[in-house]
Amino acid sequence: MIEFKNVELRYNDFVAMSDLNLTVNEGEFFTFLGPSGCGKTTTLRALVGFLKPYAGNIVVAGNDITDLPVEKREIGMVFQSYALFPTMNVYENIAFGLKVKKLSKKEIHEKVMAVASKIDLSEEQLYKNVASLSGGQQQRVALARAIVLEPKILCLDEPLSNLDAKLRVGLREELKRLQRTLNITTLYVTHDQEEALTLSDRIAVFNNGRIEQVGTPYEIYNKSASEFVCDFIGDINRITPRLIEKINEQTTGRRFKTDREAFVRIERIFGEVKQNYASIKGKVLDKEYNGLYTKYTYEVEGQKLKNIEKNDGLISHELNDMVDLFINPDDIMQF
Amino acid sequence: MNDSKVFKYLRKIGVFGIVIRVFLAWFAIAFLIYPNVNLLVSLFYKNGEFSTEVFGKVLNSARAMRSLYNSFILAFTLIVTVNIVGILLVLFTEYFDLKGSKILRAGYMTTLIYGGIVLATGYKFVYGSNGLLTRGLVTIFPDLNQNWFVGYPAVVFIMTFALTSNHIIFLTNAVRGLDNQLIEAAQNMGESSWNIFRKIVMPILKPSIFAITILTFLTGLGALSAPLVVGGVDFQTINPMIVTFANIPYSREIAAFLAIILGIATMILLAIMSRIEKGGTYISIAKTKTRFVKQKIHSKPLNLLMHVAAYGTWLIYVVPIVLVVLFSFSDSRAILSGNLSLDSLTIANYQTLFVSRRAFRPYMVSVTYSIAASVLVALLAVFVSKIIHKNTGKFSKALEYSMLIPWLLPSTLIALGLLMAYDRPRALLGNNALLGTTYMLLMGYIIIKIPFSIRIIKSAFFSLEDSLEESAQCMGASAFYTLRRVIMPIILPTVLAVIVLNFNSLLSDYDLTVFLFHPLYEPLGIVIKAASEETASLNAVAMSFVYSVILMIISATALFLTQSDWANKRRKA
Repeated sequence: MIEFKNVELRYNDFVAMSDLNLTVNEGEFFTFLGPSGCGKTTTLRALVGFLKPYAGNIVVAGNDITDLPVEKREIGMVFQSYALFPTMNVYENIAFGLKVKKLSKKEIHEKVMAVASKIDLSEEQLYKNVASLSGGQQQRVALARAIVLEPKILCLDEPLSNLDAKLRVGLREELKRLQRTLNITTLYVTHDQEEALTLSDRIAVFNNGRIEQVGTPYEIYNKSASEFVCDFIGDINRITPRLIEKINEQTTGRRFKTDREAFVRIERIFGEVKQNYASIKGKVLDKEYNGLYTKYTYEVEGQKLKNIEKNDGLISHELNDMVDLFINPDDIMQF
Repeated sequence: MNDSKVFKYLRKIGVFGIVIRVFLAWFAIAFLIYPNVNLLVSLFYKNGEFSTEVFGKVLNSARAMRSLYNSFILAFTLIVTVNIVGILLVLFTEYFDLKGSKILRAGYMTTLIYGGIVLATGYKFVYGSNGLLTRGLVTIFPDLNQNWFVGYPAVVFIMTFALTSNHIIFLTNAVRGLDNQLIEAAQNMGESSWNIFRKIVMPILKPSIFAITILTFLTGLGALSAPLVVGGVDFQTINPMIVTFANIPYSREIAAFLAIILGIATMILLAIMSRIEKGGTYISIAKTKTRFVKQKIHSKPLNLLMHVAAYGTWLIYVVPIVLVVLFSFSDSRAILSGNLSLDSLTIANYQTLFVSRRAFRPYMVSVTYSIAASVLVALLAVFVSKIIHKNTGKFSKALEYSMLIPWLLPSTLIALGLLMAYDRPRALLGNNALLGTTYMLLMGYIIIKIPFSIRIIKSAFFSLEDSLEESAQCMGASAFYTLRRVIMPIILPTVLAVIVLNFNSLLSDYDLTVFLFHPLYEPLGIVIKAASEETASLNAVAMSFVYSVILMIISATALFLTQSDWANKRRKA
């Protein structure tokens, strides 16, 4: 559906993205994930047409759109700030693109009402000033305005970042439902790993102007392709070569290199006995109670390791307790 | 840009964009660059070679040299007097907790609606040889010279009270922006009120005061109305001299040279001010700023002294306006005698304004010119700002800089530039001349209002979120459609405010008008100035009061519509 072929994006002499090769499939919910300044929004803007690639091509449904003006690409976009027109009410905002297309008043009305019902906007809300809406409602209007034009592709640039945590989770679910209903190819930009993992069919992790890994959320999380991806997604423990040697001594089969660090996710270190796992002893240095679970910090072989234990009443440690910890070698990642 | 890039650029901006750019380029060359270059060339380049003849002419002219000297003396004096009065006004209304501070502020703010030639003639009416106060004083002190209100002290007096508007606007905002916790912290550490003011408050206000000082100096240097009305023969400054010399063909060069000196001084001072703006502005580091609370004066005698000083100053501001309003309702007899009584009150003067075409004509002329110039300059500023907003190319940079030229030049220099450039047919205007046409003043008005209009409208463009235009583009809208449907409705309140403010300040303009007006179409400023002369008829004086009152009403309305809390709330809504 969407292909970036050897794309290079620049701001004057600064190379924001180099040699980008990426394919997004039709109907896919695809997320560009990465820290600020990694090139994810730049790539999205190039697809929409706000930035012309310095080199390479962008192909949509077999057509090269690299030189096509923004207004002719038929790509819907929801901006981080929503970019709702403050001098127009909700109805006028949603109808804007339809008016540009010179649709009849009747058609415009029908389409606006249809999209409003899809995203739970009441008729009363349609005639309100956009400034009087809450953040969540504004986000809905921005989404309605983008999808009412029935674009082939929908781009969302950090659309939930201006909302509070609870609303963000609610709208995340709604967004996913809507995308499935409309079956629209969606590109989503975010720096929030949780958002990316919960929403996406596939994720591209961006770092420093290039893609580190493309994969399903499961692959990205559990089979990280690089130290950066491993570190960026979720909480990890760094395992020093000294501790790696100890683990190598206890396990058969998989051997880890002892000239570099390895990584294991904090929820993959267990405080209960596990057969065939490497066993290490740790002293409890700190505990953070977090309602659902408790996060422990241990001292193991001169380094710090963390794990989490569900607060189900089965495991509870006190400071300075000596604890046996178990690690599955298959959970260890080394690059 | 190579050929294909130029072609792509032209295709991108479209026919409308090309036409607009060609028009703006022509406008900038014809009205902003050429007149000034022509002025310099005609002064310093004669018979095909560089000439310094004009230096000799100026040095040999005692009047010219004297006016230069007077201008600088006036400017330096005003720095002191205006700052003293201006700072005191702000302390009275914003810093100290004085009774009736709102009434005081309203009185001090009158200079915002009552300035320039209107104020100078009003003050002359109170303090001049036939003035009410003078007559009162003469009855008490029969030996008093009736012409006491003339020359340097009179000019300084008028201008001191006329130029406090900047303090009222900018310094007031600076005081209101003070973080009260700064004061409380100093109090907590045992500092006295006086030392808090000296060591904490003044350093914060210093950048604002410095910027106002430079504006005051510039205004003093370019003074025209006050020296013309009350300067007398002994105290004429550069601008009145330029007016005099400009009307004598032989001396026009001296006028131009004096205007250039004024221009150079303006540029130097604006450069200094720009440096101050960049480097010296106080930025609050407060994470949670608290609202400034007015300081109580605990010493009773000092509190009384402050109140007396505040209300005494208030009277100086308010009395001329009250008298102008009252005498606008008086018959000729009362104006001549200066004695007001219920019998002498009449609305005849106002009736004359609306019944007599002759009386109404100056209003018609000024209103027509002001509306035309304000609307045209706002349109021009919208297009220039739109080009500057999204383009960083050479054309947009050149356009922006050329549009700022009038900001660097005093209006006298702009007027002389236009006069000398277009006193004969020029190819740039399709072999037409402007001198002797009604367009001359219109062009002058447009030119002097360009920098202000562009600065304000440009900031409105730059305050727009980029994503607004981008989202319109995403939905298929063209650049012009986006400008018309999305951008213009958002910036319209700003554009309208610029139109109203420009209209207001042009309505009674005198400084530029005196050079460029068409003799058959005398604007208000010229008529009001004529009414202040000793030879003016009583009817003319009466009408000038009516003109002044209506001008004040228009100005107050304009300010209310654009600057009041009510207007701000509406804009935000």
